[in-house]
Amino acid sequence: MAGTTVSATFEVYRFDPKKDASPRYQRHTLELAPHTTVLTALLRIRGEIDPSLALRYSCRSSICGSCAMQVNSKSRLACETQIGPELERHGRIVLEPMRNQAVLRDLVVDQAPFWHHYAKIEPHLILDPRRPMPAGKENPMSPEEVERFKETPRCIACAACFSACPAVEADPGFPGPMALAKLYRYVVDPRDAAHQDRLLAIQPGGLWTCLRCHLCTEACPKDIRPSERIRDLKEMAIRVQGATELGSRHAVGFKANLRDRGLLNEMKLVRQTSGLFGMLGQLGQGIRVARKKPEILSRPRRIEGLDEVERIYAALDTDGGDAK
Amino acid sequence: MKLAYYPGCVAQESGKELDLATRWVCRALDIELVDFPNFSCCGSGFIDEANEVLNVALNARNLAIAERAGLDVLTICSTCQGMLSLANLRLGDARVKARVDGALKPIGIEYRGTTKVKHLLQVLVQDVGLAAIRAKVRRPLRGLKIGAFYGCHLLRPADEMQFESGEEPRSFEDLLDALGATPVYYRGRVMCCGFPIQFVKPGTATGIAGRQIDDAKAHGAEAMATPCPLCHLSLDTYQNQAAKSVGHALDMPVFHLPQVVGLAFGATPEELGLPRHLVPTDAVVARIGPTTPA
Amino acid sequence: MRRHDVVVVGAGLAGQRAALAAIEAGRDVAVVSKIHPLRSHSGAAQGGINASLGADDSVDKHTYDTVKGSDYLGDQDAIEFFCKEAGPTVIEMEHFGTIFSRAPDGSLARRAFGGAGFPRTIYAADRTGLALLQGLWERLGTARFTLYDEWDLTHLVVRDERVHGIVAFDRKTGEFDEIAAKSVVIATGPFGRVYGRTTNAHSCTGDGVAAAYEAGAFLKDMEFVQFHPTALLESGILITEGARGEGGILRNARGERFMSRYAPNVLELASRDVVSRAIYTEVAEGRGFSGPYGGYVHLELMHLGKEKVESRLQEIVDYSRIFAGIDPVTQPIPIFPAQHYMMGGISTNLRGEATLRGLFAAGEAACVSIHGANRLGGNSLLETLVFGKQAGIAAAAYAETAPAPAMKESDLDTAVAPLRAWSDRKDGEDPTVLRTEMQQVMDRYVGIYRDEATLLEGLKHLRAIKSRFSQIRVVDQSKVYNVNLTDALETGHMLDLAETIIVGAVARHESRGAHSRTDYPKRDDAQWMRHTLARKGPDGPTLSYSPVAYTRWDPKERVY
Repeated sequence: MAGTTVSATFEVYRFDPKKDASPRYQRHTLELAPHTTVLTALLRIRGEIDPSLALRYSCRSSICGSCAMQVNSKSRLACETQIGPELERHGRIVLEPMRNQAVLRDLVVDQAPFWHHYAKIEPHLILDPRRPMPAGKENPMSPEEVERFKETPRCIACAACFSACPAVEADPGFPGPMALAKLYRYVVDPRDAAHQDRLLAIQPGGLWTCLRCHLCTEACPKDIRPSERIRDLKEMAIRVQGATELGSRHAVGFKANLRDRGLLNEMKLVRQTSGLFGMLGQLGQGIRVARKKPEILSRPRRIEGLDEVERIYAALDTDGGDAK
Repeated sequence: MKLAYYPGCVAQESGKELDLATRWVCRALDIELVDFPNFSCCGSGFIDEANEVLNVALNARNLAIAERAGLDVLTICSTCQGMLSLANLRLGDARVKARVDGALKPIGIEYRGTTKVKHLLQVLVQDVGLAAIRAKVRRPLRGLKIGAFYGCHLLRPADEMQFESGEEPRSFEDLLDALGATPVYYRGRVMCCGFPIQFVKPGTATGIAGRQIDDAKAHGAEAMATPCPLCHLSLDTYQNQAAKSVGHALDMPVFHLPQVVGLAFGATPEELGLPRHLVPTDAVVARIGPTTPA
Repeated sequence: MRRHDVVVVGAGLAGQRAALAAIEAGRDVAVVSKIHPLRSHSGAAQGGINASLGADDSVDKHTYDTVKGSDYLGDQDAIEFFCKEAGPTVIEMEHFGTIFSRAPDGSLARRAFGGAGFPRTIYAADRTGLALLQGLWERLGTARFTLYDEWDLTHLVVRDERVHGIVAFDRKTGEFDEIAAKSVVIATGPFGRVYGRTTNAHSCTGDGVAAAYEAGAFLKDMEFVQFHPTALLESGILITEGARGEGGILRNARGERFMSRYAPNVLELASRDVVSRAIYTEVAEGRGFSGPYGGYVHLELMHLGKEKVESRLQEIVDYSRIFAGIDPVTQPIPIFPAQHYMMGGISTNLRGEATLRGLFAAGEAACVSIHGANRLGGNSLLETLVFGKQAGIAAAAYAETAPAPAMKESDLDTAVAPLRAWSDRKDGEDPTVLRTEMQQVMDRYVGIYRDEATLLEGLKHLRAIKSRFSQIRVVDQSKVYNVNLTDALETGHMLDLAETIIVGAVARHESRGAHSRTDYPKRDDAQWMRHTLARKGPDGPTLSYSPVAYTRWDPKERVY
């Protein structure tokens, strides 16, 4: 309702690495309308209370991607996050810089790793010299081809997904959801001639470290669903490359594994993925577990109707075919 | 309540204690579980990576089996919940449905899309209700500080799973509270356990698991509880490796969801398969004490 | 001290296109931007980019529409060149990898925009600026250049009427440095933040335009300020013209489709100034809605159907829901005009050359003039690319033969000293307060309808604010990411530019395009078909005038 305000308490992360020994949280309480955005509130804090608060912002309309930060531990664009629901849920609003990027000052982070991974996937058209662009005309692109991009053209490079990603947190070499979603955008672009090479290049240390936890999809303000695009890349990579990496071998191995009994054969899967040497490496662990859980050594029961499962495989477990 | 019981592979094999505990709790709550020996593995997310349509078809068959019996499905694994729900969702795409129907029809299977899939956590909190659960508690958990660990696929993508918030859920904490425990909130409770890359990058995977356990500990948790047996594998069975990755002992007992419920309802540790855990639960169970008289 | 052949300040579409052209000509190029290039305001442009690619369209028709749209103040030779370049420019962007919306036959889709004969606006859903910005950035990423990311321009060094380089500082470390260059291209975009009610981003403070003005370059047609008719009421966030292009309609509080009274032939698709004035009048005359954020009218999309709205106007749906709490599928959107585009800027010719040797400008920071007194939708995105390229080519050509720049140590001191004074002062004016006051003055006194008394009142207030600015104090002493300092710097720039807007508006005794004088309501071609030039003098801007270039199109009354 226009005119009503609520008492909103903000806890804002403050840290100047050149001056402060450690970070602190600065508390401000403002009377604001519930639909006020976090950015509007921050600009009021800067304008009226403390002009030394550092943050990035520009468009205030969720298109430039500058103002991503953690709002009550969720990576979000400050300019499109309303304070009302956050206050209802948490009673206060804790504002912190994005994760997985070093803090430059207060809410401003060093985005170098983010830009680095983006650049590394070669985000530009790679052409086949034998197929030059049509002179003076656009490349035709059917509505189906446009649809294949899904929402990836909407990316504003805000890094909220990168901030939310536990795989990036655990492994700084992991490209992160944005770079992978960008890779998807180029792989499905009919004008690009390099999709096979791209899928080849991304796999070692790249694609298969994704945990498919979907935290990126929750964080993304533009509904790009990076985790689902990464899944698409995985399937495409297998179709184009076969199972060449541990990750693809595991997926393909799992797929084949079920045909045996209809349920997962754990021992067999380890062997399929890691090979004999891999298995030996896990031997100590295996023995330890088997003492408490002997089932790990035996095969699962065979399900009834396994022939139905086999028929489904026969119909759909084809190599090639259209990756969606 | 009568449900088609979909335990998933791990609960039928190395995670047998989860199946034991589930059956015990469902008996206590008059939930009839119907077994289907023809259910196949949900694919665990790995088949989805290799061949999305195949994954949908395999799970459409599972859902059709339940549909034929006129029953909704109960899952006890976050990943199974995710995969079966995903099948329902993807069948909304006409192209996917056409290909799946094309594979199912020749084997006489028709899935009309009516099967609902619910995880035990959902059933307890939404269908049974916290009031009824509170009424069944015989051995309140004496404020035991328990950190829930949800498992990604139960919650996300939130708009697809349609359960609760993908980043800020509270169903498990509400349940723990109803059982007399003290729920511990920590960032890691909604994060990944590392399991999906256990075979790809074991060091990274166990490091992730270790980080979540450390986080729970730092917020005061004496134990953790999870609705996903794959997370349990990562957090309990591989906890020794997680400890190695983070460089210190973790000593965190990890319960399956129905084990916590069962303990509060008065079951013995043996009835719930607790001796099978790799990280001993005795000390924590001793904190709770014997069953209170009815 | 750093050295490059060509320094481009501003890295939106115009700056990036200039850089690309200069790199392709073989020069050593630096791009300086106070925000990461992908954050540039070009990305906020929604509706589309014009090119006469349709079979039943022509360069002449596009030219005529632009000349007419400019209310006959646009330079016709430049406009002819501009429209001729349009088709190849759009095709080039598609070849660079831009993802456009497509027609069923696979060709580039087109929609109708205000002031155009028919659909010639090529688009990417309602995020065309973002699509182009990404496409160009990703293409530019394959070229070699030096990026000064998050460096603020403080000073354009000009001696003996030629450019020697710039002084800038790195926001991330607070370190100042001189960048010597033979050519400097200013492409810093708009300066709409002189107004409080604007669709512009917070970063749109015209730093390059102010620096050029400070250094003695001429600015042109500064009084011509375009107000976009459909901005969200509370926030000023833009709702694209494309919404009307797709069939959206405007209604007042009486339920009337009032545009039938102002533009009986094309209704909502009349030129922006016509629609802005119409909405303003409806509200001023009591036929609008009213509320806590002021008067407004409704933009209705409900009749278009859920599917069309959600697929073609996705960002608008999101903006309405998040920033206005309205679902445009089922509810009307409350809108009111807001400042949107500056027709004025650094005076250039059609090669992008400004009035100081070695200085070039392109994009919204420049005024060629293409848009004259009023810009057509879809021509701004086109302008950035056409003249960005021209400016880059010219800057590269000049740098090839120009003598080496002669920067001095003292240039650095000259630039740093005032900023240091702000930080050293123990007591002084708050630059944020001065900025807000300036914005209130512009909103109140220099809006859609103007008259002598109101403008002079505004000028008086603005000059008072300017003199207080000399005593500002920057409180934050940190060298790292000092937004207090950059805010102050920007405010100083904007005060100069605001002054040129008002002075130009006072002097122009006619109404033309976006400049509406209630005391001079008619267009006066005999006296005023000429450009206003502003040059910095000791007491403010000194005005002079230059003729409009004419080729074929005789001025007519502008009726839609």
